[in-house]
Amino acid sequence: MSALSFKGVSKTYVSSHLGRKTVSRGVSDMDLEVRPGEVFGLLGLNGSGKTTTFKLALGLLSPTAGEVRVMGLEPRDPKALAAIGFLPELPYFHGFMTPAESLRFYGRLSGLAGAELEGRMAKTMERVGLSRWALRPMREFSKGMVQRVGLAQAILHDPALIILDEPVSGLDPLAIKDFRDLLQSLNGQGKTIVVSSHSISELEKLCHRVGILKEGRLARVLEQKEWSKGLEALFVDTVRPERLREGRG
Amino acid sequence: MIVLALNHWQENLRNRFFILALVFSGAVLYLSMLMGLLATDQEVRVLLDFGLSFIELLGLAGAVYAASTVLLREMETKTVYMVLTRPVRRSHYVLGRFAGIMLSAGAAMLIMSAAHLMILMLKGWAWTPLYLWALLGAFLKVLVTASLALFLALFSTSVLSSLTITMVLWSLGHFLPEIRLMARRYGHDSSLLMAPLNAISWVIPDLQLFNLRDRLDVPAHLAVSVPVGSWILYAAAYCAVWLTLSALLFRRKEF
Repeated sequence: MSALSFKGVSKTYVSSHLGRKTVSRGVSDMDLEVRPGEVFGLLGLNGSGKTTTFKLALGLLSPTAGEVRVMGLEPRDPKALAAIGFLPELPYFHGFMTPAESLRFYGRLSGLAGAELEGRMAKTMERVGLSRWALRPMREFSKGMVQRVGLAQAILHDPALIILDEPVSGLDPLAIKDFRDLLQSLNGQGKTIVVSSHSISELEKLCHRVGILKEGRLARVLEQKEWSKGLEALFVDTVRPERLREGRG
Repeated sequence: MIVLALNHWQENLRNRFFILALVFSGAVLYLSMLMGLLATDQEVRVLLDFGLSFIELLGLAGAVYAASTVLLREMETKTVYMVLTRPVRRSHYVLGRFAGIMLSAGAAMLIMSAAHLMILMLKGWAWTPLYLWALLGAFLKVLVTASLALFLALFSTSVLSSLTITMVLWSLGHFLPEIRLMARRYGHDSSLLMAPLNAISWVIPDLQLFNLRDRLDVPAHLAVSVPVGSWILYAAAYCAVWLTLSALLFRRKEF
């Protein structure tokens, strides 16, 4: 069974203003299977449908056509949601709260309580390097530290599938390396990871497979062995508009 | 649901919301003392009226603002994504946030009323348990108005429009018996005009029902009946309708 599957999924947004309807496309006719235990990357230009894909997987959006399944379940099924950990792009935490308080809140929402919750919190904060700052208000935190709290809330309940939207956006090189190491170690424990990023080199280092989105369509899925000479050229070749490709030729 | 309510409460505590409420209530109550001094022979009466009105208005402002903005704020900051991607029912999210808002508003009103009571006692006011019922009435007014505000915030496209509609309906809510009387009396002559009036009389809350303030200074030998049971039933039914509609709307909402 796939960790995440999309079958013929399309999502169109319809908005109306003063009686005028505007239809825009999020994703079109998407077929995708994410295998259990793999790290799958989503690569695409701005507006190519990466965030829409994630929102469909998380049940925040419903598909206009097709079927999305998480571990074989509807995305909004509580069992599916319990198996997912999600880190949105640039997560926000209340500045007056501490990481410990925030994690306690998210842990309780995931059904954890008592000694189990406290134990998981301590372990997760240790893992993401937050233990020393557990009781400090988050308004004092750098972007990298906030991102660590974001990752901690995503893995606190030990989910089987971790979805990360631009996890290294705005991080310094050292924080990026720490993040990569952590994700690799989570994958080593059998976790399935789906990650989007604008950083091609990061996806190259981290992923087993990469899907390239172009104008809402999954234009190509590449296996690790296919980018031995570099993912960038393959990506550019896939997303570059036709006329530019012809001009280059 | 309880986790979400307590989280809202905790965030408000950390925001120094209550310290602000306390400082502001002190300032406002001081103002009502000054007004009391202007009405020399009615000082305590004016102090009682103004104080209770201010407590209600401040509680209302806090609760309605929070109900109108909570979802929009959580969508902008994406915190709602981190909550709804957990095994949390969307109806529980709506109810939990609403409970948190009311917990904060209720606590702020209690703090303000403690300060108010202290000033009243210092001015020689004779304690009556009716004060507590008047405070409960004010809280129930805030409660029903906030439930309406939460629904309107889900329905409307901007905070300003939902706040404006809520405040218009809140104002009309103090004249509901008059509106119903008008609809009954003139409904036969102009059904076209009265139809919307009739319809709106079912939407707006009957806030006059909870007003005990006007009867607080009746002489002790004249018993004032307080229909607390019907107050609570009415408020519960009114909130249940708007919160159910809010939960249904929120279930269908896409992010």
